[in-house]
Amino acid sequence: MLLVLSEEQKAHLGCLPRVGAAGKLNVGVDTIQRGVEGLTYLLTESSKLMISEIDFQDSIHVLGFSDELNKLLLQLYLDNRKEIRSILSELAPKLPSYHNLEWRLDVQLASRSLRQQIKPAVTMKLHLNQNEDQIAQVLQTDPSTLLHLIQQLEQALGEMKTNHCRRIVRNMK
Amino acid sequence: MELSAYAQGGWRLLGDPRRFPRRPYAALLRAAFRSLLHHPQSGLDDPDLKDIDPMVLKHCHAAAATCILEAGKQKADISAISTCLEDCKLDKERIEQFCTEYQKNKDALEILLGSIGRSPLHITDVSWRLEYQIKSNQLHKTYQPSYLVTLNVENSDSGSHPDVSFSCTMEQLQDLVGKLKDAAKSLERATQM
Repeated sequence: MLLVLSEEQKAHLGCLPRVGAAGKLNVGVDTIQRGVEGLTYLLTESSKLMISEIDFQDSIHVLGFSDELNKLLLQLYLDNRKEIRSILSELAPKLPSYHNLEWRLDVQLASRSLRQQIKPAVTMKLHLNQNEDQIAQVLQTDPSTLLHLIQQLEQALGEMKTNHCRRIVRNMK
Repeated sequence: MELSAYAQGGWRLLGDPRRFPRRPYAALLRAAFRSLLHHPQSGLDDPDLKDIDPMVLKHCHAAAATCILEAGKQKADISAISTCLEDCKLDKERIEQFCTEYQKNKDALEILLGSIGRSPLHITDVSWRLEYQIKSNQLHKTYQPSYLVTLNVENSDSGSHPDVSFSCTMEQLQDLVGKLKDAAKSLERATQM
C-alpha cells in the first residue's frame, strides 16, 4: 500500500535536502517547521498503516530525493515504527484497563447488629489504569461467588483457543 | 440479656391478662415478628387486637420488637430469654409462647441482622466479552484479542451501584484469574484448619 502525499506535504518535505546539504540552518524557521511537520506526517502515517519497506520506498520516491536520503528515511521509519505505533495505540478510545489485583481473606466475627458470626469474605483491591491515572477499587465477595467468578473467567480465557476464534485470527492476517 | 426500662414496661403490660388477654397476646407476638421479618409496613391490624388501647398497643409492640432484636443480636438462648421475661413478671405460659415463636423465626432473624451494616462493594456476578481488534482510526492492523470484563456490584446501603468495567489483554486476564485462584486455594486451606 502506497502512502499518498499531498502537494503541500511534498513541498514541506522538499525543503529537507536543502537543510541537510547546507549543514547550517540558513533557512527560515517556518521552513524548518514545515519540514519537521512533513517528516512527522510521513513517519506517523507510515507507522499507522504499517506499510512495507518496498511501499515506503515507492512512496517517497515521488519526492525525488537522493538515494542516500531515501535510505536514511527508510531506516528512520524502520527504527521508530514500533515505538510510534505504541504511542498511537494510546490514542484509541478505551476503558480503564486492568493493572493488578490484591486480595485478602477476612472472617467477620461480629457487627453492631449481630454478635458471634463466622462470615468468610474475600476483600480485593482492583488496580486499574485510566488515561495515565491509576485508580484502585475496593471490592468484596463471598466464597461461592469467588468460585463462580473463577469459572466464568476461565471460560473466557478458553475461548481464544476454540476453532472458531483460531479460524478468524488466521484469516484476518 | 437486658432490656431498657421502656421495653420492660411494655412487657409488664403484655404480661397483664387484664390488659392483654390470651388471644391478643398471641396476636401481638405474631404481628411483632411479622413486622420485623416480612412486612415492615404491616400495621397492627389483626382483628384480635382491635380492643386494645392504641397507646398500650404501640408500647407493647415496641417492647416485643426490642426483645426480639436484642435476643437475635446476642444469639441468646432460651434460658437467657426466659430469665429476662421473668423479670418482667410474665407467667410461664406466656414466656413459652414467646420462645416458641422465637425459635420458629430465629434463622430468618439472624440473616436479617447479619445483612445490616457497611461493607465494601459486593461483587455479585461477572460478564465478559472477547473481541478481536482490527484497526482504529489512529492505528491500523492492530490484530489483537482483547477482553472486556464487567463486575456486577451491589452496595450494602442502596443495593445497586454502577458496575466496574475494565479491559484487559489475555495475559492480564490470566494474571487476574491466577490471583483469584490463589485466593480460593487459601480459602479452602483456611476452612480445613
